[in-house]
Amino acid sequence: MHMTRPGQTRALIIGAGIAGLQAALDIANSGYEVVLVDRLPSVGGHMAQLSETFPTLDCSQCILTPRTVEVGHHPRIRLYTYSELTGLQGEAGAFTATIRRRAAYVRWDLCTGCGLCQSKCPSRVPAEFEGLLGERRAIYTLSPQAVPNKPVIDREHCRYFALGRCQVCERLCPVGAIDYEQRDQVVEEPVGAVIVATGYQLLPLARLPEYGGGAVPDVIDGLQFERLLSASGPTAGMVRRPSDGRVPKRVVFIQCAGSRDPERGQPYCSKFCCMYTAKHALLYRHRVHDGQAIVFYIDIRAAGKGYEEFVQRAMDEERVLYLRGKVSKVFRDGDQVMVWGTDTLSGRNVEVAADLVVLAPAALPDSSQRDLARVLGLTIGEDGFMEERDPQLAPVDTPRPGVFVAGAAAGPKDIPETVAQASAAAARVLSLFSRWEREAQVQVQADGRR
Amino acid sequence: MGADRDREGQLPVGQGREACAGTGRRIGVFICHCGSNIAGSVDVRRAAETVRGLRGVACATDYGYMCSDPGQALIRQSIAEQGLDGIVVAACSPSMHEATFRRAAEAAGLNPYRVEIANIREQCSWVHQEDREKATQKAIALIASLVEKVRGDDPLEPLGTPVTRRLLVIGGGIAGMTVALEVADAGYEVILVERGAELGGRLRQIRETYAALTPLAAPLQTLIERVREHPRIRVLLGSEVESASGYVGSFTVTVRPAAGANAPGGYRSEADPAGGTQHEVGAIVVATGYELIPLSRLGEYGGGRVADVVDALEFERLLAQEVPRRPSDGRVPRRVAFVQCAGSRDPEHGVPYCSKVCCLYTAKQALLYRQRVPDGEAVVFVIDVRTGGRRYEEFVQRAMEEGHVLYLRGKVAKVFRQGDQVIVWGVDTLAGRNVEVAADLVVLAAAVVPSAGAAELGRRLRATTDELGFFREAHPKLRPVESLTAGIFLAGAAQAPKDIAETVSQAEAAAAKVLGLFSRPELVQEPTVATVLQELCAGCGLCVSACPYEARSLNARLRVAEVNAALCQGCGACVVACPNKACVVRNWRPEQTLAMVGAVLGEVQ
Repeated sequence: MHMTRPGQTRALIIGAGIAGLQAALDIANSGYEVVLVDRLPSVGGHMAQLSETFPTLDCSQCILTPRTVEVGHHPRIRLYTYSELTGLQGEAGAFTATIRRRAAYVRWDLCTGCGLCQSKCPSRVPAEFEGLLGERRAIYTLSPQAVPNKPVIDREHCRYFALGRCQVCERLCPVGAIDYEQRDQVVEEPVGAVIVATGYQLLPLARLPEYGGGAVPDVIDGLQFERLLSASGPTAGMVRRPSDGRVPKRVVFIQCAGSRDPERGQPYCSKFCCMYTAKHALLYRHRVHDGQAIVFYIDIRAAGKGYEEFVQRAMDEERVLYLRGKVSKVFRDGDQVMVWGTDTLSGRNVEVAADLVVLAPAALPDSSQRDLARVLGLTIGEDGFMEERDPQLAPVDTPRPGVFVAGAAAGPKDIPETVAQASAAAARVLSLFSRWEREAQVQVQADGRR
Repeated sequence: MGADRDREGQLPVGQGREACAGTGRRIGVFICHCGSNIAGSVDVRRAAETVRGLRGVACATDYGYMCSDPGQALIRQSIAEQGLDGIVVAACSPSMHEATFRRAAEAAGLNPYRVEIANIREQCSWVHQEDREKATQKAIALIASLVEKVRGDDPLEPLGTPVTRRLLVIGGGIAGMTVALEVADAGYEVILVERGAELGGRLRQIRETYAALTPLAAPLQTLIERVREHPRIRVLLGSEVESASGYVGSFTVTVRPAAGANAPGGYRSEADPAGGTQHEVGAIVVATGYELIPLSRLGEYGGGRVADVVDALEFERLLAQEVPRRPSDGRVPRRVAFVQCAGSRDPEHGVPYCSKVCCLYTAKQALLYRQRVPDGEAVVFVIDVRTGGRRYEEFVQRAMEEGHVLYLRGKVAKVFRQGDQVIVWGVDTLAGRNVEVAADLVVLAAAVVPSAGAAELGRRLRATTDELGFFREAHPKLRPVESLTAGIFLAGAAQAPKDIAETVSQAEAAAAKVLGLFSRPELVQEPTVATVLQELCAGCGLCVSACPYEARSLNARLRVAEVNAALCQGCGACVVACPNKACVVRNWRPEQTLAMVGAVLGEVQ
């Protein structure tokens, strides 16, 4: 179809993790409108769960919240959290996006975010945001710093929805914002360009039984360990193991849990595990001075500015013990977790009795990605990630004109790379928008002469 | 959470609002509960009652969430109804919501610089949870001090500086060309300065990408042609930046012929040969790339001494022929040893970092060598195989399995010539044995270092480079393409070693920052900057050297210091340095500060 009108200078961004936030701010701060969609109740993505970031050990929340707050207040960013993209019709410059807003059972236009409902809700549920190591209520926000700071009711665990009575939140809400009758809403938004920034998830522990995943309570994944390290986490930043709350004196970190493993379906390297494991080991030693940190690795992949130096620091200053070798088995033994592996440098088998085992599971595309690719008409690679138009020369373009991709949606990436890609996708969009704007001006002038 | 606190969250809007006539200044105080965050340890109602009696305070109110829409409406309404000429919001840190409350006040017609935030959350309620009485007293003292500040605040107007919508790109490699095209396509003028004789940078020396093995010549040529033919891009080959002055939105850059250009028999510079030309630009992108550490600095690997020890870029050239031939005698090498981390990860070579790209290009070169010389043998010495990146792990596996490339994990101790072969002594750390490989050719993955002159360019631009010579980014996580100097951006390997995909992403990201800057009609700057009281200034110049932003200079004619408001960040270093008290930061005058201290000490009633 030949486009008769210059394109719509409005962008749709799917995913409000650090990639989506950065792209949204770059575009909105250049004067254009952004529609930002995330399936969770609030923005921030995985970065909001992290304690500190490598290699500078900046507090993740502290560097992220200025961005989330700016997005939350931005006059040109329309935020659809707790929402999903269900359709995209049209072509570059003239898309119509169909967005389904899930019922929050809370009228966000009335809610002031005072938090009273959450403190009084009688139904306690393991919190996904805390890696199930902490609790939330049936009416909840992801974190106290949530943007928007408005709760949702988890229907499945709400007593009113299950039993037909309770209504504590409704009675307490000072502004009458609880609405049990709320329904999902479908809205349509006209946009000219789309950025996919749906990020990653970790391979579920249950799929790593040989490492004790899912069976041994003191075998956790990297994101769970982030929550244990986090000052705002379930243990207020003290490392305590899930089974009995004891401070672990020996922690084993296992890298490549599922990654670089074609038999399991992830032949690729998950890229950021080497660095976060070095960070985990170092932070653990900061928290538990007499603790011992042991890392099993195949190759230490510290490629990035200041990364090699950071790993050296973990080894030299914090005496983190790096053992090169694969782990063959992890199992429970009394109140300890036994790790059997090989030290390929000495050629010996090793056995470590640990108090806690932290796995670095493979990074997978976000669970929503496959459906989303169908909606967007994009291709997914053999590894499950979004295909780029040209991985080297056009890394943020997709085969569909007007649709771009940023961050871990197109393969595991660390934060700086993700941020650079997000801005890159924003540049592709800004360049289109400014071209369309000039075309519109030319058309207006031509119409004026006519 | 106590029942007491819960009730406080429900205080009716507008509680305690009352007129207070005849005080001169009409200041409103708005105290936020922040749910229980503040109200849990501060008696907000008592605080409101107490500050209501302060000098200049017309009204004081508390509310559950001042930042919420109803809270902001309360502020706007009070300003309008009571004719307030200043407000103090006692709430969280100003870094959280100062902008929010200033916007709300402005919407009600109040000058936003007569809005102050008393931080009674992070600096009060959160740290004094155990003592409600003392926390309340401290909150009252903090509010009183900010009331004193507002009393002295001038209604300031933000400073607007115009933006020159033209970009200067330094470096004509893939990074620089990508930025230039994206910004020019968006409709802005670009000047691209390249000190060499041609565009294309390192990619001219590389035949195909790794992983996908995409040939680079054709796409590179297309890119170069698009740049050269673009109506809004002006390319200055054989040129370099001599000096730069100014600030974001308004730089003046002098470009002169590059050293080496215009020499007899050399290439011609496109810069004005007579002393250089000046260009007015609003932003600068540094895309100066990398080079490899010279072979001569890798003596232990035979670098510079043994003819058949080459670096990876030289091997790219050898591979470009139908069959690679070694430099010494033109023979086709039957066994090639690749030595990774030649200089990298080696603090003694001054390169403590990992060069990032070598693992992948070595796998590529080994695989391509095996394709060109099917009966040849490729041996790679490696410490760790670093293939972090999509499709990279799979590619190295392909080199190992399909290309039968032998990977030995270990460092190389020595490389030397023996007869017409090159002997490599190393350790296989997995077998725990010493190994000796008699190779026909040795390829060193020499460390990636900043391109020559990077540190000097950094000084000219006032954009900092690190101790290794790479340009320093504003924040390693969240601002990877911004330099520490506003308006100067970074792309590609000038910031740190990067592969093509990452370089293109970074270049596009730098373009986004430039486009964002150029989209604004003018740059709005905080007016809370330093000024000079000329009648007190002795022209001693101490403030000029104290200023970390180079915002100060001496006016030779008047013999007084002057401030460039566009560069000043209001840090106050000049105030401390000035012996005559002639330096003042607007709305942070000494008498204001003393009055604030007095209020905290309880001297104000």
